[in-house]
Amino acid sequence: MKIAAALTENHPKSVIDEHFGRCDWYGIYDTETREIHYVENPNRYVDEGAGCSSAQMLMDYHIDIAIAGRFGAKVAEFFKKNNVQMIIPEKNKKWDSLLKLINH
Amino acid sequence: MARTTKHRVIQKAPEFSGFKPFGVQKPASCEVSINYEEYEAIKLCDYELLTHAEAAAMMNISRPTFTRVYESARRKIAKAFVETSIICFEGGNAVLESPWFSCPACKITFSLGADNPQICPFCKSADIQKNN
Repeated sequence: MKIAAALTENHPKSVIDEHFGRCDWYGIYDTETREIHYVENPNRYVDEGAGCSSAQMLMDYHIDIAIAGRFGAKVAEFFKKNNVQMIIPEKNKKWDSLLKLINH
Repeated sequence: MARTTKHRVIQKAPEFSGFKPFGVQKPASCEVSINYEEYEAIKLCDYELLTHAEAAAMMNISRPTFTRVYESARRKIAKAFVETSIICFEGGNAVLESPWFSCPACKITFSLGADNPQICPFCKSADIQKNN
């Protein structure tokens, strides 16, 4: 299973970004290999459709779960269609604390 | 007998309950109540920049009905601005599109797809709550 999270920085101590489409980094965690792969968000400064382009990009990594502080309407619809589960943690939650919960 | 009102599908309820004018001498005497589908109509049309036809499809209503809801929302906002009244979000004929769930132990909110089991994705506990 692969889990993608919207992050503000590219390390495990980073907090989960408040907005899915406009975050700086995506962390993609593979539960089988226990590896984290970081990708920069190329769409963060585009005027429109940042969320959808990012969601499309993450689909190429075959993610099953997406984590962010908020999902836009279009992104939520897109993920629902592609059977990606969305998770909204508490505000300012750290990525490593969520990883602990996942591995638990 | 009149036809019953169709449910308008909304993505998410507003996270706050309204607006209050400031800088006025005496508190606003009247209140304008905007219902959830009107809030959703303004959000889809002017915030997410969808066309009326796209927004109507998202709310599962016809395009003319959407335009009516949207028109009513704009008039209410204009009335509140001009008459310095409080805006409250309440009521309406709205249903949430897909329910969101929360796990009190992990303190997360999550969606469940058709083939997801009804458990928390982190602690796998079945002790989850349906929001709204």
